[in-house]
Amino acid sequence: MGKTEFFVRRTFQLVVTLWAVATALFMLFRLMPGDPTSYIISPQMTPEVRRRIIDSYGLNDPLWVQYVRYVQNLATFDLGRSFNTNAQVSEVIMTFLPNTLVLMLSAFVIAYIIGITLGVLTGWYRGSRFEKTTVFGALIGRSFPTFWVGIMVVWLFGAQLGLLPLSGMRSMGTNPSGFLDTVLSLDFLYHLIGPASVLAFYYMGYPLLIMRNSMLETLSEDFIEICRAKGLSEGAIMFKHAARNAMLPVLTAAAIAVGYAVGGSVLIETVFGWPGIGREMIRAVLRRDYPVAQGTFLVLALAVVIMNFFADLMYGVLDPRVTYD
Amino acid sequence: MPDNDSALRRRKFLKATAAGSTVGMTALAGCQGGGGGEGEGDTDGNDTEESSSDDESSEEMESMGDQLPQYTYLNNPANYNAARHDAINLIGSQLNELGIDVSVEVFEWGTLYTRATQEFDFGLTTWNRGLGVYPGTRMPEQFHSSNTDPGGGNFTGYVNEDLDPLLFEQLEAAERSRREEILYEIQEVLAEDVPMHPIVQMPNLIAYNNNQVQGFTDHLAGYYHMEPMTNIEVTADHGELRGVWSETLGTLNVLGYNNETKLIQQFEMIYDKLVRVNGDLEPDADLSLATDWGRPSPDSVRYTIREGHQWHDGEDVTPEDVKFTLEYIKENQIPLYSTQWELIDSVEVDGQDVTVNFNSNLGPVHTTFSNQIPIVPQHIWQDRQDPANMSNPEPVGSGPLQYDYWDQGSELGLVSYDDHFNPVNFDRRIWRIIPESSTVWSLLNDGELNYLPFSRIGRQLSQNQENDQISVQSMAGDGWWHISQNTRQDGLGDKAVRQAIVNAVPKQAVNDQLLYGFAEQGYNLIGESFGSYSNPDVPAYQPENSLEAARGVLEDAGYVFDEDGMVHFPE
Repeated sequence: MGKTEFFVRRTFQLVVTLWAVATALFMLFRLMPGDPTSYIISPQMTPEVRRRIIDSYGLNDPLWVQYVRYVQNLATFDLGRSFNTNAQVSEVIMTFLPNTLVLMLSAFVIAYIIGITLGVLTGWYRGSRFEKTTVFGALIGRSFPTFWVGIMVVWLFGAQLGLLPLSGMRSMGTNPSGFLDTVLSLDFLYHLIGPASVLAFYYMGYPLLIMRNSMLETLSEDFIEICRAKGLSEGAIMFKHAARNAMLPVLTAAAIAVGYAVGGSVLIETVFGWPGIGREMIRAVLRRDYPVAQGTFLVLALAVVIMNFFADLMYGVLDPRVTYD
Repeated sequence: MPDNDSALRRRKFLKATAAGSTVGMTALAGCQGGGGGEGEGDTDGNDTEESSSDDESSEEMESMGDQLPQYTYLNNPANYNAARHDAINLIGSQLNELGIDVSVEVFEWGTLYTRATQEFDFGLTTWNRGLGVYPGTRMPEQFHSSNTDPGGGNFTGYVNEDLDPLLFEQLEAAERSRREEILYEIQEVLAEDVPMHPIVQMPNLIAYNNNQVQGFTDHLAGYYHMEPMTNIEVTADHGELRGVWSETLGTLNVLGYNNETKLIQQFEMIYDKLVRVNGDLEPDADLSLATDWGRPSPDSVRYTIREGHQWHDGEDVTPEDVKFTLEYIKENQIPLYSTQWELIDSVEVDGQDVTVNFNSNLGPVHTTFSNQIPIVPQHIWQDRQDPANMSNPEPVGSGPLQYDYWDQGSELGLVSYDDHFNPVNFDRRIWRIIPESSTVWSLLNDGELNYLPFSRIGRQLSQNQENDQISVQSMAGDGWWHISQNTRQDGLGDKAVRQAIVNAVPKQAVNDQLLYGFAEQGYNLIGESFGSYSNPDVPAYQPENSLEAARGVLEDAGYVFDEDGMVHFPE
């Protein structure tokens, strides 16, 4: 099968996967106990008005009617309106998702640059104290709860030493004119340091360990011996030959991890007061705000599926030996 | 120390709140309440009079009816409200010691509320409720026999046909003295029948950095009310009042929100009301859009609208705006103001006067109508379709604060409207969204924030108020933690059982140990904070020996305790 056929088939699979995810989300939220209107209606409203509101959300319609309406809206890219705020779900997503992407992608870049570099070095210097210490540190980073590390960073570097801000994306009262105005400022970078560092510390272990394992495999290949026989320097062998060949699993893992990054980190967003999509997703779930919950989870699923697809394509580009079946 | 001392032993207290948590976790497995299972209660339960002979015991056993059924006590998760979670566990434990089989079950808030108000699948439930500035406003909703359907408001299922007419009559009585008289009678009946009873009277509370903010004055509605807000002085160099909230605001549509406190606090300052009441609960022209008012008849009210006042965009505020607002909310059936627009028959304008004609007599017009509806600009809203379902990101009002910016998810800024008839004494009010409470207190102590619009009662509040720069001001509010009983269930339909349960509630322990003494023990649904509306003759269900008193009530009503101390129906 050629690349074109592979692309078409995977695209079809993507659509089917998204439909399955959307259906699962629809069912799961409606299976959850609790009444979504309990967060919408107020005791100040008369009983007749409360009943009218409940009816207006269509939640008393048969499930299949609600499902058909839901799929029809999705087909026209209409994610609906929030039960709680009446804002368009797409507006909610566009408000908070960029904040999350900036934070998560920054953390990923830091994590993968440092993780890959350390992975190369630990693979090369296998058995050394450096390797043992680094691997131990990576495991610690993955084991500690991110919210705890975040609270410690806020307490130590923020509250005690005054080196970092305690909360938010910008200083109080700065009133940026838009997202770009927000992110293109030193004040924003100053606020980014804390949460991005904590996330990077957590995420670093994954590429580090993958890269290390991949390096160990690559270093056992014959061509490494040939490089040595040719008199290449250790550095050239390590980075130009071994690392480049060992990089493939890390890159594909990175592509998939970026997809999951869309969902944000609700714990870090809470600890650092970062107005991201993760907090809004959890808030929507807790408040039974079905449209926002469905919409945000669907966007997350879309990102994961697309990045997974991208990873498959990228693998074929990076490694000419890969064929598409 | 006797078990039924109102100040429980600390060890037993901690055990009771923790045991209740365990019960909550294992409730699905059908385990019983913690108190009885602990064993301690069993011993003290035998203090009641029991037959000393086997013959008398067996006779009693034969003469007693079935054991009271197990009642489910709905509890919220600890992370939702830790103090209330522990209080419910404690009360459940105490009721098990009394001999009533209570199973405390934890549910996420939405599920809990649905079970209580829609499905009626509960025996006992507790959360926070308020009455508003006029205590009779919510009485019909909560206690009238016509509101016992799902979602109706009378979720306890309480039916008292003698009380029904009084519940509406107090809303129609023109004279305050007559309203007081009727409310006194209502309070006596409800204190006797106790379908709902206050555990503790919750305070209005504000914490602030006294190096930067001074001068909060008390108001029953809360410290967010216009009067306290326009009385405070901000001495910080930046001249800003800086507060915080734990979650995003969501909307700035005053006609499309659901009465969440975080939004009430914004709209209270962005919009004017026809008549506001001051801290003495008297209508006050200094706080109101109307400079004068009168009652041409019991079913109408006339307002004289202030001249020369303008909207934040510079347009004049006119009587036509008032007429438009009242007719607009009725025509569009704005849900939050349904109680008000259902009252309106017609609105007339004559010069600066606006006369509202109601469908029926309305007694406390200012506290139930005039101070409820925000007046909105006709020139902004008249062309809007479906006003209750739009977002309105840049509100235009006429209040003492006007919209400046809204960085959704991060910050809301309101600036002083200096031309207001009752302006604030600061330049700007900023609300920052910070979910982490330890960060909030750190910023308040440092002065980065200078007031907390909402201060949950807990250890952090108790500890931080000891700091020199932190002041905590509080007064009894209009709300309470209630204990409500589902009168539809066997046993709970008998007021003797309900009275016994109320007697057994360890109110002092709840207030002292879980609320750090910030609240007050509740006795009356209409507490003393309502002034002359509160009936001083309502009995206090807090006798010294609460469990003994509770057992006495049951025995006087013919209920019998078996050898395990459990309560049985009379034969």
